Amino acid sequence: MDALYNTHVKLLAFDFLKLTPSPTDPSSFFRRGKRLSRAETVGIVVTRDLKPGKFVKFTIDDGSGCISCVLWLNQLNSSYFSRRNPSDVRLIAQAATDFASDLQLGVLARVRGRITDYRGALQISVSDVVVERDPNMQILHWLDCMRSLVMLLARILDSDCSASCARICGVER
Amino acid sequence: MATSAVRFGALVTLEELVPSSPQFTQGASLRVTGKLQEYDIETAIASIVEGNASLKIDTQHLKVNLRIGSLYQFIGELLIDPSNQAILRARVGRNVDGMDLNLYHQSLQLLRDFQAEQMNSTTS
Repeated sequence: MDALYNTHVKLLAFDFLKLTPSPTDPSSFFRRGKRLSRAETVGIVVTRDLKPGKFVKFTIDDGSGCISCVLWLNQLNSSYFSRRNPSDVRLIAQAATDFASDLQLGVLARVRGRITDYRGALQISVSDVVVERDPNMQILHWLDCMRSLVMLLARILDSDCSASCARICGVER
Repeated sequence: MATSAVRFGALVTLEELVPSSPQFTQGASLRVTGKLQEYDIETAIASIVEGNASLKIDTQHLKVNLRIGSLYQFIGELLIDPSNQAILRARVGRNVDGMDLNLYHQSLQLLRDFQAEQMNSTTS
């Protein structure tokens, strides 16, 4: 059962970059045998490239690696969105514009979205952004990611790794 | 600059940044945390401290408000001069007043142990 498929799984960049694309489904990625489609990262915005009306590409550095992200800003001109209710599209476009203005260099941001593969490089196609004012949120994200991976490992056949990771994290199995 | 070209800042404490450590390498991308002790407005060189260690930070490319006594975190590249003096040329910086430093240090070590365990399990 793909319990994680529609959740934004908290991933360290170190882990995110090891995801393997599904050979049959472009929206699915595998991590230790579990199928995922969405991810959440928390880290510092270290690059930002804004193309108004099109997209903002940025990079999140979470201390274990860098994750490339893209936030689309072209909803008002997109043929994909032309089929939807115009007032809904305006709301989506405004939310995306607001997120883009929050994403300044040096801020700590929590970013969620779909995992995508762009020309062989993994990235997040962003659905929402929260700027974290509390600097401890970066630490909490590390701990959340480690804890969720230990729980995942406890369910699969890598018992030596899951036992030692559980011991490191002090998690009961 | 292509987003894929940027290297992540490896987490390191100032006390670990000694010439004998592996992170003390020319051009190493690091993330450091410390309290702002000094700041020279003309040169834009700041000095941060953590425990008994200190590090100079070149902040000329940053747009962050610097206040003496506040905690800051910087990501950038380490530049080492011929006399083995290091300075971090920061790309980004942020105020981290309110960060629980005990928790930070414990979690940093936990993260390192965790990543090492992951690497061992994939190579064995």
